[in-house]
Amino acid sequence: MSDDIVIQTRALSKVYRDFWGRQKVRALKPLDMEIHRGEVFGLLGPNGSGKTTTIKLILGLLFPTEGEAIVFGKRSTDVSKNERIGYLPEESYLYRFLNAEETLDFYGRLFDMPAATRSERVDSLIKMVGLDKARKRQLQEYSKGMTRRIGLAQALINDPELILLDEPTSGLDPIGTREMKDMILRLKGEGKTVVMCSHLLADVQDVCDRIAILHQGELKELGRVDTLLTVADVTQIRARNLTPECQNEIREVISRNHGELMEMDNPSTTLEELFLSIVRDSEARPGRRANVEPVTSDT
Amino acid sequence: MVLEQDILPYFQWLWSGSADSLGALPRFLLVSLGVGLLGLLVGYSIAAARHGLLRGGDIVYRTISNGVREIFETSPRRVLALAGLAMKEAWRRRVVVALIVFFIILVFASWFLKKNHQDPAKLYISFVLTATTYLVLGIALLLSAFSLPHDFKTKTIYTIVTKPVRLGEIVLGRILGFTAVGTILLAIMGVCSYVFVNRSLDHTHTVEQSSLKNVSDADGAVIGKDGRTSLNSYHRHEVELDTDGQGVALNNYGHTHRVVKSGGKEVTLGADGIMNARVPQWGKLTFLDRQGVPKARGINVGSEWTYRSFVDGATQATAIWTFKNISPALNSEAQGGLPIGLIVRVFRTHKGIIGKPITGSIQVRNPETGLTSELIPFAAMDAKIDERAIPRKLTGTDNSELDLYKDLVSSNGELEIRVQCLERGQYFGFAQPDMYIRMRDASPIVNYFKVCLSIWVQMVIVISIGVAGSTLLSGPVAMLFTVSFIVLGFFRPFFVGVAQGTEYGGGPVESFYRLITQMNVISNLEDNLLTRLIQGVDWVYKTFMLSLAQVLPDFSSLSTVDFAAYGFNVPADLVWQDLTMCLAYVLGMSIVGYFLFRTREVAR
Repeated sequence: MSDDIVIQTRALSKVYRDFWGRQKVRALKPLDMEIHRGEVFGLLGPNGSGKTTTIKLILGLLFPTEGEAIVFGKRSTDVSKNERIGYLPEESYLYRFLNAEETLDFYGRLFDMPAATRSERVDSLIKMVGLDKARKRQLQEYSKGMTRRIGLAQALINDPELILLDEPTSGLDPIGTREMKDMILRLKGEGKTVVMCSHLLADVQDVCDRIAILHQGELKELGRVDTLLTVADVTQIRARNLTPECQNEIREVISRNHGELMEMDNPSTTLEELFLSIVRDSEARPGRRANVEPVTSDT
Repeated sequence: MVLEQDILPYFQWLWSGSADSLGALPRFLLVSLGVGLLGLLVGYSIAAARHGLLRGGDIVYRTISNGVREIFETSPRRVLALAGLAMKEAWRRRVVVALIVFFIILVFASWFLKKNHQDPAKLYISFVLTATTYLVLGIALLLSAFSLPHDFKTKTIYTIVTKPVRLGEIVLGRILGFTAVGTILLAIMGVCSYVFVNRSLDHTHTVEQSSLKNVSDADGAVIGKDGRTSLNSYHRHEVELDTDGQGVALNNYGHTHRVVKSGGKEVTLGADGIMNARVPQWGKLTFLDRQGVPKARGINVGSEWTYRSFVDGATQATAIWTFKNISPALNSEAQGGLPIGLIVRVFRTHKGIIGKPITGSIQVRNPETGLTSELIPFAAMDAKIDERAIPRKLTGTDNSELDLYKDLVSSNGELEIRVQCLERGQYFGFAQPDMYIRMRDASPIVNYFKVCLSIWVQMVIVISIGVAGSTLLSGPVAMLFTVSFIVLGFFRPFFVGVAQGTEYGGGPVESFYRLITQMNVISNLEDNLLTRLIQGVDWVYKTFMLSLAQVLPDFSSLSTVDFAAYGFNVPADLVWQDLTMCLAYVLGMSIVGYFLFRTREVAR
């Protein structure tokens, strides 16, 4: 296996069985894929498509029925691979009677980190995920967003090379979602490999380099996001400050060249962008109604 | 005190064992090998059935090789982190409730524990230590059986096993964490119960002036006074005073007092010897029957419990203890005599005189020269410890003067003590530990600590079994699994007896058949096809039971509460044996827990 390949699955499949060994459901049909170092890889699919099962098989939380998953050149059941992995589960399954510091310190110990390194790392991670003021509060007092953030911090405690995120934006508000996506891109910038699974397509599209689309446990599509989303026979032109005369002239040019003008109007921004600009305005001018300027391309 | 099995010296117990059993270490290795092979067979069968012969073999090989490798990769830091987590979790689960229950028991215990009991210390010590044992074992059971299943249920285990944590570390961390919690609880309970017993039973008396009578020597000079104390805590003592009014209140209800003069009258100080730690040196018991023929055992008076056998009164029947290494240095406090303790079970075939004890005799004999002392008569109080000193100067059967150590101890340090029942139609029952030479007493506090240590050992074994079971089973099932071990462990001798066919009534199926047909346990079943079928099925059951018995902890022998209750020192050999057994269970159960854990999928 090349050094560039972080995860490789070979005919990886999973069948869930009942107590008597009878097949209940085939959660994953033979899956072959490779995930490369430094990329953000998205596993997409509706509920029950096999995304989480794939992540669990990669982590060794489930045993494959057939095939195998190789992570950093080791079998998924080899626990030593976990030295280089960070995992954020679908929900932050943490010990709710611990506070943030204790939680991170505990997970740091599991990586056999010396006390000084651990203390430094805990401090920086708590600040990074914005829980500095709540570091002494027990997790049972945390909101869902805060729990996700401490969950992310525990996933990063060992400064992992590979981060597996199961529905990372689940339960987060738009600001939290944006921060999570920024975090993923920052991790990518640091050369880390991120594998995330989600059914929130916009999130995946925003951050992933490559995606695999699963449906009913079967791999339906695998490739680069930009390639997969490119519509080959449509040309998109974006221009600024065009006069109506100029727009008419463009229409004529298209018509003269036997092209079909599908759409020419002012684009709209996303709801996420609008929401974030309102929040920013509110923070800048607390107590006043939001006054958002009409959106321009400079905004 | 009952000691059904000899306490072997530690290294003999460990290596060679007794005449009828293997040493502990060879037995541990054999059982481990058996369990290992069985596990291998079952594991391979399941893997082969699911994945085929070759892949099944590959899975089993990888499981074992990973397991061996991971032993060497165990990190103390991770184990301690997991142990710390287990402690916090236990605290969150309100283990402190056990302490509250314990204090409630202590507060109300005085209502039910009668101080007019002939040996109140035995009653009190036995009660508080038994209550402590059950509470600690209960807590150990609940913590160990439900912890890991709870982590599986809440999925917090996902964030543990996706770290470089070896499964063995999870098992070991849980065992250590819960052991630490249990140790804290046990320490608090131990200290409180020790204070409770001593404070509850401590008391003083005054000497009744009207009872005092002068004691004179042969010349008629007054050398002191005899009398009795006031009635306090349901009892009084005989007192012996010197001319200054100081002396002792003699042993009654298992203790003595020093008598001092205070405010012009004699009063006793606090009770001495409420808690004892007698150090016995046991001898080897043999018998003579009524014709004087040597026998290994006495006669059976119809008791199903064969621990003691009996000598019949006014015959040549004799119980003979042979002691080794006898010298005056054995007990420097005994002032020349040889202090012995004797427990007699009296079996009467007629009432005799109500309230009058049965008379017996003690003789001391040199096994080498045959020199024998005259009979020393004694009054046998049923099941009481009769402590006395055999005087240094004795009279021989030929009226010669004998020195205990010079004349009655053989050249290799052996001494025989012979006990007979002197009344026709009455019987004395003895077991080997019923006579002992009392060495210098050990510290009662240290002895109490050793008893608490034996409770601790039981607790750790329960935790190990509970944690190992919970790696594979759900909480309630793991609890039932552990409870089965505890119950069978407490009745292990009976369980083994049923498996070996030495108990009346046959195996499980035969017993059930006898129950529903209302047949007694002694009669033979008819020789027919049904009987053969029943006994065939029972053979399978008994084989399984005998195999299971090899891994069952013998909780009845692990408990040393009786030692403290009866005022005996817990031998160091026994303490080391218990600790070694504890270590073996922790080791064995950690390995079993590891492999059970590996066979399950963490996620669902």
